[in-house]
Amino acid sequence: MVEFLSASGYLCESVLNFKDAVEKIEVYDYDCIVLDIMLPGGSGLQILQYLKENHKTDGVIIISAKDSLEDKISGIELGADDYLTKPFHLSELSVRVAAIIRRNKFQGRAIISAGEIEVDTMGKSISIHHQNVELTQKEFQLLLFLIINKNKVISKNAIAEHLWGDDMDIASNFDFIYAHIKNLRKKIIAAGGEDRIRSIYGVGYKMQLP
Amino acid sequence: MKLFTKYNRVNITATIFTFVLGSIAFYFVLDYVLTRQLKETLRSEQFEIIHFVEEHHALPEIQNTRHQWITVERSTEILPRPKFKNSSFYNEKEKENESIKQLLFSINVAGQNYLITVNKSEAETEDLLKLIILVTIGMIALILLFNYLINRNLINRLWQPFYTTIDEIKEYHVSNRQPLQLSKLPIDELDLLNDSLNKMTQSIYKDYAALKSFTENASHEMQTPLAVIRSRIDLLLQQSELKEQSLQQILSIEDAAQRLSKLHQSLLLLTKIENKQFLLNESVDIKKIILEKIEEREDLIETKQLKIETNCTDLTLHFHQHLAEILFNNLLNNSIKYTPANGLIYIELTESFVCFSNDAMNGPLEEGRVFQRFYKPSDSGEGTGLGLAIIKEICHLAGFDIVYSFTGHQHIFKIQFKS
Repeated sequence: MVEFLSASGYLCESVLNFKDAVEKIEVYDYDCIVLDIMLPGGSGLQILQYLKENHKTDGVIIISAKDSLEDKISGIELGADDYLTKPFHLSELSVRVAAIIRRNKFQGRAIISAGEIEVDTMGKSISIHHQNVELTQKEFQLLLFLIINKNKVISKNAIAEHLWGDDMDIASNFDFIYAHIKNLRKKIIAAGGEDRIRSIYGVGYKMQLP
Repeated sequence: MKLFTKYNRVNITATIFTFVLGSIAFYFVLDYVLTRQLKETLRSEQFEIIHFVEEHHALPEIQNTRHQWITVERSTEILPRPKFKNSSFYNEKEKENESIKQLLFSINVAGQNYLITVNKSEAETEDLLKLIILVTIGMIALILLFNYLINRNLINRLWQPFYTTIDEIKEYHVSNRQPLQLSKLPIDELDLLNDSLNKMTQSIYKDYAALKSFTENASHEMQTPLAVIRSRIDLLLQQSELKEQSLQQILSIEDAAQRLSKLHQSLLLLTKIENKQFLLNESVDIKKIILEKIEEREDLIETKQLKIETNCTDLTLHFHQHLAEILFNNLLNNSIKYTPANGLIYIELTESFVCFSNDAMNGPLEEGRVFQRFYKPSDSGEGTGLGLAIIKEICHLAGFDIVYSFTGHQHIFKIQFKS
């Protein structure tokens, strides 16, 4: 996780138990905390409670294998911003982290640019050369996913899970992803943009950005 | 039959039987005693006369009363011993036949034999007997009535805590996250019941909690290594120097890991449904869910150029939101997955049933096995084989009936809601 997120340009620190976690959050303010519920020496939910009691504004993503609804609900109630169940793709985590940082720092109104493409995450729209390009919801999600994980190989499984969620194993029929990528490319090129989506044969896709 | 009714039936029968038997015995004993007393009176009269005759050698002057009188007649025959006789005479005053008891004996006064009859009416005795019997019957009736009333009220009151306990048991569900806490009662038997129930649910709850935490921990412990595998694969994919062959191998590892984790999640879900860890206490808008699920898959449907027709009425069911979503997710996923390109999916929702039909790629599924775990027809691809089993379990939990049929080259899954 640290390796992957660091490669995405985040400054990452990690601790492995409850005591160290409390020490770290006492000392530093983080933009985003990725929190496993089951920690040696305590529950991640206790850390959430601690953050809330001390009026810390760190964004929190809870990670747990317990997809028990109760845990999810109590986590969100305690002020977690998001919830991921194991196992997940690192690219998925990366998107969630980016979303939380956007929300906390820019009140969600961040414009992410990738070359000549500008993505308005709040308005859920993109523009190329300052010209609005119409995308479907799925195409927008896919593009944002690729841009946030730029220069990384994203497997089709990861894309499918991001677009259709966990419970949709039909998406393992990768034709759907291919169709979306094809449309995206068409629209970008039509608007005068450069097609930076590389197909990695049999594996997935990669957004090549300088 | 209620315990009280059963008990009352036996009790009242036994009481009536005892009282009737007792009354009959009482009647005979009383009759015997009164008759003996009567005879005693007659005999004492006899002794008085004999005594008088012995002393005065003449018959006494006889004072007759209405209920007792003596007749004397000369007689030649001599009774060897005194003789009792039952007889009757007509009482003019009361205008009825009265039975009388007579004592006949012979006596010799100055050489002359007399036959003396002492008569005593039995009317008094009979009246007394009647009165006593009447009082007895009245008492029996009163006792029965009071017995019944007391029993009914008292027993109803005594059983009240029992019904309270039953109500609490009905309300109890082990997923309420605590053992049953029944209060202490003043009646030993009911207290024993409550105490045993408390202990039983305590141990059931402990087992349940242990099982639950085991499945959760096991799932956690299994998902963690899977998560590690997946993140390592994501990292490996980033290494640009990898050969295509290695990439393919890494991807098949990823596929396997993903399948494993999905399989595991499905099994966990099945276990949770079977353990009834979901309470069906939410109002769920079925139509909304179905339409939402279709919308979520619009791109998939479009890509396959499927036609979806829906005919849905508004329907809100007492259900579980999450389970309902899983249910319709699975049904819709199957429909989309197993409909050939350009095929038709038809979804009908009415007040009493929901029906998913879709054009089939091949022939019918095996009706008997279609809902079995890990049932995979040869053309099913890479599903977990648990989707329909989960659908079946959810229906079972909610009390719905699900039936598969194959008509007009269409797979039809019909769920009948509670009738």
